[in-house]
Amino acid sequence: MKTISKAVPKLDHYEKISGAAKYVCDLPTKGMLFGRMLRSTEARAKFGNITLPELPEGYFFYDKNDVPGVNKVQIVLDDTPVFAEGIVEYIGDPIGLLVGSDERVVNQLLKQIQVEYEVLEPVFDPRESKESFFNVNIDKGNIAEAFANADKVYEEKFHTGLQEQAYLETNGLIAEYVDGKMTIRGSLQCPYYVFGAVAQAMGLENENVRIVQDVTGGGFGGKEDYPSVLACQAAVAAYHSKKPVRIVFDRHEDMIATSKRHPSYCTYRVAIKDKKVIGMDIDVLYDAGAYTTLSLVVLQRGVIGAAGIYNVPNLKVRGEARKTNIVPSGAFRGFGGPQTFFAVEMMMTHIAKDLGMDAVEFKLQNAAKQGDTTSTSGRYHFPVPIPAMTEDVLKASDYYNKKKVYQNQTGRYRRGIGASLVYHGCGFTGNGERDLIKAVVKLKKSKDGMVEVLTAGTDMGQGLFTTLNKIVSSTLEIPMEQVIVALPDTDMVPDSGPTVASRSIMSVGNLLMKAAKRLKEEWIDGEAQLIEQRYEHPDFMIPFDNDNFTGDAYPTFSWSVNVVEVEIDSLTGFIKVIGAWGCYDVGTPIDEQIVMGQMEGGFVQSLGYGMMEKMEAHNGWIRNSSFSDYIIPTAVEFENLHVMLHVVDYPNGPFGAKGAGELPNVGPAPATIDAIQNALDTTLNKAPFIAEDVMNFLREVK
Amino acid sequence: MVTSVFAHSLKEALEYRRNPKWIPYCGGTDLMVEGDEGAAYLFVNQVPEMRKILVEDNRLRLGAAVTFTEILNAAEVPQILKEAMGDIAAPAIRNAGSIGGNIGNGSAKADSALVFMVADADLRLASADGERILPIKDFYLGRKHLALKPDELIVEVIMPYKGLENYYYQKVGARDALAISRLSFAGIMELEGDKIKNFATAFGAVADVILRPKEIDAIMIGKTLEEAKALKEEYLKAIDAFIVPIRGRVSVEYRKDVAMNLLKDFLEVKGL
Repeated sequence: MKTISKAVPKLDHYEKISGAAKYVCDLPTKGMLFGRMLRSTEARAKFGNITLPELPEGYFFYDKNDVPGVNKVQIVLDDTPVFAEGIVEYIGDPIGLLVGSDERVVNQLLKQIQVEYEVLEPVFDPRESKESFFNVNIDKGNIAEAFANADKVYEEKFHTGLQEQAYLETNGLIAEYVDGKMTIRGSLQCPYYVFGAVAQAMGLENENVRIVQDVTGGGFGGKEDYPSVLACQAAVAAYHSKKPVRIVFDRHEDMIATSKRHPSYCTYRVAIKDKKVIGMDIDVLYDAGAYTTLSLVVLQRGVIGAAGIYNVPNLKVRGEARKTNIVPSGAFRGFGGPQTFFAVEMMMTHIAKDLGMDAVEFKLQNAAKQGDTTSTSGRYHFPVPIPAMTEDVLKASDYYNKKKVYQNQTGRYRRGIGASLVYHGCGFTGNGERDLIKAVVKLKKSKDGMVEVLTAGTDMGQGLFTTLNKIVSSTLEIPMEQVIVALPDTDMVPDSGPTVASRSIMSVGNLLMKAAKRLKEEWIDGEAQLIEQRYEHPDFMIPFDNDNFTGDAYPTFSWSVNVVEVEIDSLTGFIKVIGAWGCYDVGTPIDEQIVMGQMEGGFVQSLGYGMMEKMEAHNGWIRNSSFSDYIIPTAVEFENLHVMLHVVDYPNGPFGAKGAGELPNVGPAPATIDAIQNALDTTLNKAPFIAEDVMNFLREVK
Repeated sequence: MVTSVFAHSLKEALEYRRNPKWIPYCGGTDLMVEGDEGAAYLFVNQVPEMRKILVEDNRLRLGAAVTFTEILNAAEVPQILKEAMGDIAAPAIRNAGSIGGNIGNGSAKADSALVFMVADADLRLASADGERILPIKDFYLGRKHLALKPDELIVEVIMPYKGLENYYYQKVGARDALAISRLSFAGIMELEGDKIKNFATAFGAVADVILRPKEIDAIMIGKTLEEAKALKEEYLKAIDAFIVPIRGRVSVEYRKDVAMNLLKDFLEVKGL
């Protein structure tokens, strides 16, 4: 192991463990107004008169008419209104904001507001939706020829459901307007996304907008685009009331009104010749919800990953995101990947079963190797260590023996074992880093030799401040104490891009390493110095064509192999994970403990996605909007969890590191469903698969 | 603003209870979640009469303020109750939550109440004007509807100390910890010689109240195992008709299937 990988205590460890850390809801509230959103109770409706109760002095209601700039939240396309304009598109759609000095009074007044609705016909099933938001297609090789030459063609449909990020800290922000300048602070992932959104909605010049991250209790993508919406709303109230306005959601509001993982419907047609995949013809449909938010980029990643890790010479993917009248889905760790990777991994196991082969052998036989073309006709430029990783995981889990034993079971408890082989493309898709993000980082050295790291990178528990510090201090060969990484404040830090897409270490960290190398060369004792480093596009990449979706979608990939073993109680349907093994290639870990924490946490979150976390919008209502009803794993659920790292240096990342955070959230769910189908001796095609599904299945086979 | 008072004796607690605004509060594991800012709480967790665990006349008396953890650690407590306590929530909740609260909450999902039901326990209810003993089965009138008078307190649970050894217990939650019962089942078959002396079943989280099919179970009582086996089909049919689940976090079909599966497993495991 490299020296840098050796674990250090996380820099925010003590303040969080001791309770000293100040989250946005811990900040003093003297002189502040509390805001509560007036939300639509209809899934789709025109609305007219809003009848307010008499508001006491110092209580205000704001809506679309009060937005001083553009009443649109800047995300990818600007279709999400700050406040609804005459029409509501989902239950929870914000119509207005009520603020006042006493939170209880605000809550009481909110209940008295009456909205006149003219109800319109909503659409809840994307398969029935007529409104297409985005189309993303891949056309590689000659798909017609492949199917004409096939020995056999397989066709199947797959479905995945909503998933809630379930961060510990709900969304919350404070807006304050002083001397013509709007400051937003609170729980967020991407300061400069919020910055752009607030400037546009408020019609303010850039120098009059300031965004500050407070200690943030988890994001998982759920604070990528959503804080932009909330910030614009809070800013409107702060602008008019001239008082700081605080909006902190309770869990119910956070669960019904903020973004989730996109539900998916996929149809796969696969052509097989000589037990090899020669073609895949795939329809990918994502349920975007009411507004477009991040659906385009989520869909892109899903489409690119639709062929899995396999070398598929002839590939056609028709990807589409459609509108429905439910809460918009957005970013969630894995970002469109978990849905199609689930589908392709299940598809491959089903084909293998039909061919009389072990699923893992069949997958390895079809897996891409270094130098092969990717789904977008780019190249796997770097090692693909899947065979070695698979060997390690199968051995550790005793996969083949168990697979042999777990057949023809008839007793109360039935066991199964399953595997998945997946990747996660590191960083932004396509030319995003070059054309959209254009990241800038700075290192600021003071006279006394302290080095301040200036990036917009946010730490929300994933350990970024610690790992960025390690990259800079190790490069400069100075103690970590001599390097400062603070909560980002857009008045102080350049735009190094959002903290998303498993890009922070690979992209931002790499810029910092370059900056640190320069600072080391130019270091002058006793002098203040400032080093700026800008993004440089890797020259080895095959240019990405956004229109035809060809070229290198990612500079490199992180790889993983997952095995899950379950025991099912056939009397109750209860699914117990009795063993879980994962091997991850994220390049060199910048901190072994932090990376292991990420891998274990992501593994557990994905197990939840596979066999626990069921969320549905019944007629547009998300009914299980509490942790009593939305079941996520606890610490005791998966005791027998084993995570290992397969370390291969990535030459273009700092100290050999590449993307890590999202990878463990891609593979465990399909491995779990594979284990369940093994235990039940059937083929399954949906996630999550929970106890009730087990009982429904057993009732049918009876 | 929450108002609260602390009762140091049962007498004092019952005096407060004359005013129905005072809500008995022991561990607060349910009440804290509700977060009612206008509530008036009567803290009963230090009332000595409600803190006892003792065996008297072959009956086990458990104070209503006894916590789940205390029950887990008490030598006098039958295993079936300990098993149910061990499956409740997580250690922090078990340290605070009380059996009185679990019963008084009125939920058909209450894990301790299921065991008290199958054991045909009695409740000792008291008010400032007197006290009474009520079989727990008669305590539950409907969903969140209890036979507790506005000025009464649950003081004790009184249950058999012996005869519960040959039991079957299964809680079905959505996960291993911090799980609300999706369904729960308890069964007891007490043998005397070759005859069934007591036969009792109870089904939790299936309807508005915990179901205790006492009359149907009675057909097994006094029978030999062979005679009971012959009655098995008739018995199962009667229970099947008796259990009419309601839809909740899980479907009616799921509840029915699992309830019957566990009942059948109970019979099989016990040799019927």
